[in-house]
Amino acid sequence: MRESYSKENKVGEGTYAVVYLGTRQSDSKKIAIKEIKTSEFKDGLDMSAIREVKYLQELEHPNVIRLMDIFMAYNNLNLVLEFLPSDLEVVIKDKSVLFTQADIKSWLLMTLRGVHHCHRNFVLHRDLKPNNLLISPEGIIKVADFGLARAVPNPREILTSNVVTRWYRAPELLFGAKHYTYAVDVWSVGVIFAEMLLRVPYLPGKDDVDQMEVTFRALGTPTEKDWPSVSMFPSYNKLQIYPPPSRDELRNRFIAVSSSALNLMCGMLEMNPGNRWSTVQCLESAYFKELPSPSNPADINISSS
Amino acid sequence: MASKSTSPSAALLNDSIKSLVSKHLPDDYKRVTDDDLYRHSSQYRHWSYTVGHLREKRIETNLKAVKLIQAKLQKFIDEQGDNISQSELQTLKSKAVPLTMEEELKLVNFYTKKVQVIGKHLNLPTEVIATSITFFRRFYLEESVMKYDPKELVHTTIFLACKAENYFIGVDSFAKKAKSTKDEILKYEFKLLESLKFTLLNHHPYKPLHGFFLDIQQMLYGKVDLKYMGKMYDKCRRKITEALLTDAVYHFTPPQITLAVLIDEDELLVTRYLQMKFGKPEETVEETGTEIVTPAKENAQKEKQEVKQEVKQEVKQEGEKSEQNGKPEDHPNTEKEEEGAETKQEEEEEEAEVPDGKDENTIELDKLMEQIMACKEMIASMSVVSTQDAKLIYAKNYYCQYPDIVIQKLKRKQEQEQEQVGSESKETTEEVSPMKKQKTDV
Ligand SMILES: Nc1ncnc2c1ncn2[C@@H]1O[C@H](COP(=O)(O)OP(=O)(O)O)[C@@H](O)[C@H]1O
Repeated sequence: MRESYSKENKVGEGTYAVVYLGTRQSDSKKIAIKEIKTSEFKDGLDMSAIREVKYLQELEHPNVIRLMDIFMAYNNLNLVLEFLPSDLEVVIKDKSVLFTQADIKSWLLMTLRGVHHCHRNFVLHRDLKPNNLLISPEGIIKVADFGLARAVPNPREILTSNVVTRWYRAPELLFGAKHYTYAVDVWSVGVIFAEMLLRVPYLPGKDDVDQMEVTFRALGTPTEKDWPSVSMFPSYNKLQIYPPPSRDELRNRFIAVSSSALNLMCGMLEMNPGNRWSTVQCLESAYFKELPSPSNPADINISSS
Repeated sequence: MASKSTSPSAALLNDSIKSLVSKHLPDDYKRVTDDDLYRHSSQYRHWSYTVGHLREKRIETNLKAVKLIQAKLQKFIDEQGDNISQSELQTLKSKAVPLTMEEELKLVNFYTKKVQVIGKHLNLPTEVIATSITFFRRFYLEESVMKYDPKELVHTTIFLACKAENYFIGVDSFAKKAKSTKDEILKYEFKLLESLKFTLLNHHPYKPLHGFFLDIQQMLYGKVDLKYMGKMYDKCRRKITEALLTDAVYHFTPPQITLAVLIDEDELLVTRYLQMKFGKPEETVEETGTEIVTPAKENAQKEKQEVKQEVKQEVKQEGEKSEQNGKPEDHPNTEKEEEGAETKQEEEEEEAEVPDGKDENTIELDKLMEQIMACKEMIASMSVVSTQDAKLIYAKNYYCQYPDIVIQKLKRKQEQEQEQVGSESKETTEEVSPMKKQKTDV
């Protein structure tokens, strides 16, 4: 039987879709309907919509947004998604919300699990940022927005480096690499981790050039020693060479953070994508095993008091 | 272990072999493992059928269209009222006949081949052509050629497949290259997507082929000519594309199809490889033990053991599966999260209790060979539909949809006969025939 849904108020407008709140008629469950406008696109179904549908159909995981149904109405494609009333960006920005180290650990763990699930299915997300980490009413983090996702490339495939929102863009992308892989997503998660700890964006570049400056000032300019052939990238010569931060400098920046947390963050923010940690390494990090243990998602209070 | 999900090429083979494991999971299956991934795929969930179920599906699709056509035909006859003569009625009854399921299938196969040819002509990558073929055939599992003219879906399908494979070509330039129009290409794009049940990700056998080739070269290192292997690889890729034109895709997993194609290409080599990989340890040592001189020997041995365990599971599960008829059930999603220890599962997997016994190993290889051979046979049984056949079916399809044309044609013929009786001078008359019109496009 075909489910029916009611469409209620509009909650957001993305690049290629309008999002409405809605209700599933059969059980009055709250849902979100992402309506993809088709008539506007001269090339038929939009690539972002195609990617989103393609990957969400395959990725079923507690930490990946659930695509519950798809239907056509009035020549529009409608994605029925689970209702996720908040996102990490809102939470981080809302200074009236207090959260603990255990809460951060819980969010990072859920994020990494979601990203790991993508990677094990050979999918790169390519647009991880706090705004795309939605939060369910039960406090569960869900990786969302697969409009830029793609399959893990073959080694020889040429890719566009123009992916990922600037502040979360890995150094190989900043250099314009034509080959990259899982490591770009891990970098983004590393920057998000730092942002949760600092509660301000960690590497807020003003433009693409400034992004390199900001990134390398904070984390050191990569050298041939730790990233062989990095100097072959065309833009490398123009770079100011900054030394990597000392452990103490990092500790001063990230106050009250355990050393295994710093290890994990540095693993994710490793300049050389070949040495950057995989999601598996991240999930196995000592950080998740030491106290405090991650908060129970349902116990994290994210609504402003 | 840690590299497993980070390196696609390492995971490739593991994945392939693991998905050889049968389609059914035990109820107490709690964890997500790689072999589980294929079973979670939309390809497995929506597009895998038993032979019986596939047939039922085609019959159902055909029947639905037949009923529509017959209703339309009856309506047409009713509307004509007294205007329709007995001979006209007779002609309608014999000419305007809906297609049978077999005829539909032939027409679909004929046009699928067209999809392939056009894809090649457009210089599309192999995977994009493969996806086009797959989409086209799936569409006609859901819809009848009597409702959607296959000619009108060829370009739409290729265009959507390009997008689905991230090989974007703008609609205008696509239309130009394919000598089609934008409207024609986009007309049924939504319909196509809907009939595809919104599933766009395909697992083609090319990836497992790559994995098996790497493994064969490693296991038979020094025993195989690399130049020969390169040629064989290319041939196998072509054969895989041919296999995608057959129903094997609905009954076998991509790695099974890969092995069928491999065996078809070089039975001796591939059998030897499978013996080494899946055969009894004694057998392996006796037959090939002295030949293997590879640094990775120990690894290979270990892997072989792992693979054996999986195949054992497969044989067990195959048994379960054959007991049930119809579509392999979607297993309940028993996926569970473990606290931070998600990645520990591999080790635990290996501990899974599997009865050991030499006899069983033999059975497993036999069973595997049986599957591969069945798959190979199914691929080979594909018969080419001649243009002549396709034209006849196409015409039949045309007449059953346009009874008025059948009548017109009959009237002209009668007039023509009368004229011929009256005056011998006129020699030929233009006939209203769909075949003339379609000559160039069929
Ligand atoms: N599942 C959902 N539940 C509730 N709100 C959602 C959901 N998905 C998206 N939204 C809201 O709609 C807005 C637009 O969504 P989307 O098109 O995905 O955004 P963008 O293109 O900005 O990434 C989001 O910023 C969010 O506020």
